[in-house]
This record gives sequence, C-alpha cells and structure tokens, in this order.
Amino acid sequence: MRKVAIVGAGQSRYGEFPDKSIKELFLEAYQDMAKSVDRGYDPKRVGAAYIGNLGCGGFQLGNMSALVSEYVGLPYVHAMRIENACASGGYALVTAAMDVMAGVHDVVLAGGVEKMTDVSGLKTKYWLGVSGDTEYERLAGTTFSGLYALIAQRHMHEFGTTREHLSMVAVKNHKNGAQNPKAQFQRETTLEKAMKAPMVAAPLNLFDCCSTTDGASAVLVTSAEKAKEFTDTPIYIEGFGTASDYLAIHDRVATTTLEGTRRAADQAYKMAGVGPKDIQIAEVHDCFTIAELLAYEDLGFCEKGQAGPYLMEGHTQITGDRPVNASGGLKAKGHPIGSTGTGQAYEMFHQLRGDVQKPTRQVKGVERGLLHNVGGSGGTVVVTVLAR
Amino acid sequence: MTLGISGYGVAIPRLRIKREDYAKAWGSFSAAGVNEKAVAGFDEDMLTLATKVSARALESVPLTPDKVTRFAFASTTPPYTEKLLSGTVLAGLGAPGDTYATDHISSTRAGTEAMLAGFEHLAANPTGCALVAAADAPMASMWDPIEHAMGSGAAAFVLSGFATLAELEGSASYVSEYFGERFRPREEGQTRDLNVKKFSEGSFVTNTTRAATALLKKLGRKPEDYAHVVVQQPDARAPASAAAKLGFQDPQLAAGMVSVALGDLGAASTPVGLAAALEASKVGDRILVVSYGSGAGSDALSFKVVSDRKPAFTVSKEAARKEYVDYVQYLKLKGAIR
Amino acid sequence: MAHVSVPMYWRTIPQRYRLVGMQCKKCGKVNFPPKGVCKYCNASSEFAEVRLSGKGKVHTFTLIGAGGAPPEFAEQEKAGGVYPVTIVELEEGPKVIGQMADVNPKDVTIGMPVRAELRRIYEEEGVVRYGFKFVPLEGGA
Repeated sequence: MRKVAIVGAGQSRYGEFPDKSIKELFLEAYQDMAKSVDRGYDPKRVGAAYIGNLGCGGFQLGNMSALVSEYVGLPYVHAMRIENACASGGYALVTAAMDVMAGVHDVVLAGGVEKMTDVSGLKTKYWLGVSGDTEYERLAGTTFSGLYALIAQRHMHEFGTTREHLSMVAVKNHKNGAQNPKAQFQRETTLEKAMKAPMVAAPLNLFDCCSTTDGASAVLVTSAEKAKEFTDTPIYIEGFGTASDYLAIHDRVATTTLEGTRRAADQAYKMAGVGPKDIQIAEVHDCFTIAELLAYEDLGFCEKGQAGPYLMEGHTQITGDRPVNASGGLKAKGHPIGSTGTGQAYEMFHQLRGDVQKPTRQVKGVERGLLHNVGGSGGTVVVTVLAR
Repeated sequence: MTLGISGYGVAIPRLRIKREDYAKAWGSFSAAGVNEKAVAGFDEDMLTLATKVSARALESVPLTPDKVTRFAFASTTPPYTEKLLSGTVLAGLGAPGDTYATDHISSTRAGTEAMLAGFEHLAANPTGCALVAAADAPMASMWDPIEHAMGSGAAAFVLSGFATLAELEGSASYVSEYFGERFRPREEGQTRDLNVKKFSEGSFVTNTTRAATALLKKLGRKPEDYAHVVVQQPDARAPASAAAKLGFQDPQLAAGMVSVALGDLGAASTPVGLAAALEASKVGDRILVVSYGSGAGSDALSFKVVSDRKPAFTVSKEAARKEYVDYVQYLKLKGAIR
Repeated sequence: MAHVSVPMYWRTIPQRYRLVGMQCKKCGKVNFPPKGVCKYCNASSEFAEVRLSGKGKVHTFTLIGAGGAPPEFAEQEKAGGVYPVTIVELEEGPKVIGQMADVNPKDVTIGMPVRAELRRIYEEEGVVRYGFKFVPLEGGA
C-alpha cells in the first residue's frame, strides 16, 4: 500500500468566539492550512473531506461535512462526518490516510470542528456527557469529569499517584499554552493555584479539567510520492492504530489502564517499525490531568504506575527528553471535541518541520512524534506516528 | 387457624432535624412532645422506603418474595396521585405479578387499612401470605404549624397463618363525617389544616375511642389487660388524650411513642408504633393499636404476642442511625426552596 | 438532559430494581449489566437469569460537586450536596457503577462494604426513574 504524508496543516484560534459560526471557524482553519502548503494549494485536487465533529450543539446532526466543505469551496467531494466522540478528529485523519493508502483518492482533507460555547451550560453538558455508557454511567450521575475521577482515585490507590502529580500536568501544559498564540488559555498557572482549585469531581478539581472550546483544524493528506509536488518537507504518517474498548469503565479489565491506548499504540508502533523509545515528542489526550498520566503509561513512555514520578522528573517538559503537549494540550490549548485530533496533527506538523509559529514553543531537532486521541473515557482511541 | 404477624421490618430515613432548629428559624416549635424528627433523603420516596422495609419484613421471617399472595401499600404522600403504586414495590422485591396489590393513600388511617386488607385476604385464603408496607413523609407548607411535626418512617409486616409472633385477636373500626382538619384539596400538593383546634381534637378523640371501645367490648377486655397501646401520633401529646379517655395509663403508651424522636409518621404512625411495641414486648403481652385518619375514621386492632423473635431492623436500631441537617438543608431537601 | 426514553428505561428494570445478572451457560460467569455475547468467554449468548445479592466492595469512587453533576442530577447536588459515585465490585464478580446514598461523602473509602437498595435516580418528563444505589453495609444484610 502507498505511504502517506501530510503536506499542509492549519488551525483556527481555539477559544470562545461568539462572533463566529461553525462554518467560519472551519474556514479559518482551512485557509490557514492552504497557506501552509509550500508550493501552493489547489482545491480542485481534493477528492474527499473527512470531518470530525461530535454534535454541532445539536443544530446540524446530518450532513455536517458537506455543509462545511461547500462553505469553504469544496462542493462535490466525498464528504463524510467522522464521529468517535473526542477522538473524531484523530479518526478523521486515519480515515483520510486509509483512503489515500488504498489509492481511492490522491489528495484528501482531514479536519475537525466544534462549536461548544454557543449553547447554554446545561446544553453543553447534554452534548458532553453522552459519549460514555449513557444508560449506566450518565445515569449514575457522572459526566466525564466523574468518570476520569473514578480512574484517578483508583490510580492514586494502586500506585500512590498524588494530588501534586495531577496538578503538575496542568502547570506544565499551561506553561506551554502560554507560548501558543492559538491556545484558549495563554497564561501560566502555579502548582499552588492548581492544587487549590474548587473540586469538580473529587479527586479532580477545576484545574484538572479541560474547558469547552470553539475551534477547527484541517490537514492535507496525500501519497508520499505526490507529496513533493506540495512541499520539500512533508511529514510522513509512519504508522497508526485504533482500538475500541468497553464503553463503561466498570466493564473493563483494569480501571487504571486504557486498553484502547495500549492496543492502538502497539499497532501504530508496529506499522511504523518503531517503539516508544523512538518517540521524541508527543501530543497526548489530556482532557483531564489523569488522562495524560495514563497516556505516559499506556503509550509505553514509562512503566505502569510510574507516570507521576516520570512527570516529576521533567521528561515531558518542553525542555525534557520527550516533550508532551508542547501546544498546551487539551488543557491549555483547548478541546473543541471534533477538532482535537487534527489540531494535534497541526501542532506536530509544524514541530517536526521546525516552523512552529512562535519559536519559544519550538522543540529543536525532533524528527518523530506521536499523536494520541481518546474518545470518551477510552471507548475509542487512535494513535498516530508522524516523522519527517 | 390463627392469623397474625409473622415478621416485620422498620426503615427510618437517616437524616434528622432537631426542634431547636425550628425554634431558631420560626421562634417556636409547634409539635408538642417531639424532640427531633426523621427527614427523607433527596433520593428517597415512599415507594423506595416501602420496598426497603418490605424486603426487611420478608427477611425477618424469613420468606422469599415469591410466597407473597397479597400486597398492600399505605402512604399519604406517594410519588404519584394517579398511577398504581404497589407495582413498583413488587418489581423491586421480585414478587410475583399475580399478587393482588392495592394502594391505600387517602388518609393517615391507611396503615391499618392496609393491615386489615391483608387480614381479610388471609381470612379468605388461609394458606396465603400478605405483605403490608406503610411508608410516609407527610408534607405541608413550611408556613403551616402542622408541618413542624411531620417526619418520615416506614414499617412493613408479613401477615400469615404460620410462624406468627403476634396473633390478631380482633379488630373494630369507626368512621364519621368531619372536615377542616388535615386535608389536601384536589390540585394541591400540600396538606392543609384550618386549625379549628377543639373541633379537630373532638374528631380525634371521638373516632379513636369509639373504635377502641367497640373492640374492647367485643373481646371482653379492659385497658389493664394490655401491656402496650399504640395510638395515632400527629404529635407526641395527642395519643394521651384518647388513651386517658379509654382508661389507659402513660406507661402503656411509652413503648409505641415513636413520634418523640421521629415526628408525625402519617400513615406509618401506628405501623411504626406497633413495631416499636413488638420490639419491647414479651410473650403473653397484649398490644392495642388505634389509628386515626382525618375526615374521619379509626381502626383498632388487638394483638397477643406469642414469640420473642425480633427482627434485624427494629425501631430502636433504625432510630439510632442518624445524621442531623439544619433548617436550610431541610428546606432544600423538602423542595421548599428551589 | 441525556434523553433515555421511557421504554428504554423500562427494559432495564430487572437490572435497575433488583440486579438481575446473566449467567453464561457456557463458562458460568455472570455478566452484569447484560451483554449480547458473554464478555468473559466471548463464545455464548445463552444465559440464565440470576439475581445478584447486591453486596460488594467499593472498587473506586468520586465525589461529584457542583460542576461535575449532569443536568438531571444538578438539583440533587444543590439540595443534598456533594454525592458519591462508586464502582462496586459485586460478590458475584462483576463491577458496576452506581451512586452511593446514606453516607457522609467524606466517609467513603476504597474497599468499604456496601449493598444495593432501590432509590430515586432522577426524574424525566414527570416520570420518576428508580434504580439501585449503594449504601454502607454496616447495619445491613
């Protein structure tokens, strides 16, 4: 099968934009992507558009992909909405890759968009709390903060993970987000402040949770042989993996492991012919601070149970040997659900090319990175390995 | 065959509010003799309490739910005013659907109505098994002094002709026409009372003493034949007026006086009082139960204790398990502020 | 609100009201909540109904505060305060999520023995949805 590359990537600003519609947000990302294609972007070459999106706040459940595609000038393509909760964007990217690999289309758009702040707080929760096992988890009185709190509590019990470990994830990601002009929260926070934030779902407090975000992202995928027609520095998709899991946490073999992450990572490493040690930089799914710690372990960056100490040793700081979430992560950059996966790809595209918009965030000399995007509390997971 | 009580259980919601908290909020507390009262949790209603207490009554025999042939539910505050209620309890217990089930929901006399319905069933079906559950949390406007006494609690009884621990000796009832006392007009959620004090007290004493007197006469008994007498408790003082008129002494009332610590339990008042009296009784003791429902009517039942068997969930055990709420928390739990 | 229709809720009454599990006729393990195919042996969809004891131990828990409650539970959180949600490992093996009642949230611990009882879960379209919650076992059983 054909090897696949990303030749352009764009992202809207992430944040709250009462003045922008879902179509306008997507346009912002799309135009940013077009600008990033070194030898110029020709929409006529695009054969398909896979757009990640969860719910559009309920206003456009059907044909969402066609709607945003035609708005940006891409009518008459193979338009498809990809939905796997918070992993929608990541799945849109691998679906685009599979399309190109199979040779169906040569040039494919993968993107994502979400508008979460237009709806009332109550309605937002409606859209957020229903990607777990609704009948059991939602009706036990939880949204995702509660579900990740159940995981966190058990992780603390089994492995001695601490309040400080959780808060340090937030501190690190806010520090990176402060250097990202497109991030929702461009300000640092202190460990003390993060540890003392109001409780949402104990042991998780407000600073352990990502926010609701408006935003969009888009990447251009083509075959490796065609890539040079677009740029001298394509970023290759070396491998990817996806795995689903029992939706309800109570059904899973282990409470403190996202089996989906483990299996998706195994596949991605195998396809790329690499191992965790070869990953120099990663964007992982830190919808809650505990989720980033789980990712370290389940992606094989450290031993099971050792994520807290691994974080505290500084490995994943932007100055460490394997920076994680240099963009600020979901925590500081924002988490516009459908956009998150391709938003991670946008960050990694520029990190690996060495042309990050703000150089203070640029990690120098990295050639291979990993993207990790989780749907719900781990019901779906997609892992992608990218390299120069 | 002698019919009687084969097992029973009690369930009291865990929350309590003290009379002092009312006094702080209102300047006074109108429930005579009540020191504190039980408060149902946000996620409890009379069907969840009835299910819990029914399971306890069955376990006390012990008996599996499939043996139940008659079920009667009693409460003045069911979660619905139209919809069959007892099916929820039977489904919760896993009791068979061909059990004849009835809801008794229109007055605080409902608890004894349900018991008598169970005994009537057994009279016609002597090998059957009746389960009776009374659960209540009467409710009135927070502005109304009758609200002060209103507590919450539940008791359930397994009635049958086997393994009895207290035999039914007989019963008598009395009904009459009264009004203005403790009523809830259609379309209203809160119980009202016109507070025509002497008139209402007259109804209470007249109906209860007539039912009780008729029963004592029928059985040829005198007040001193009874170790315990349990009278409806809208507060902790009302029973004494009726009991005294019948010739009972205060010590006979003591064991069944659950309102002191739990408040007015509405339709569950005499059932929980009976459970308390059974808990305190010894073999050979007689217990007289006299219920009252405004509007008005009264049932009197006479039991003779024949076994010392006590259930796992008694009134004293349930009353001891508690956590206090303050008046603001109470208002929130009652949905009085939202 | 997460809309769970009346028939959808009704279909789960055996599970919610009295914890009816499905025992696999092939491997003997109990699936709760039920699965289409046994999640343990993955080889059979023939089951026998078994009523679970409802007793178990807290495997993990969270305390849901104001920001963590879904809208249908917001009123409960406002009126009753922070509420615990647990995953309980039942005596018969399965783990299941459920709220905990009749307990001071600060007393909930991993490993504490609990039992299930029927409670109001929430209300939708005027209909009360009942189901099990866990309560401390002490004084129970």
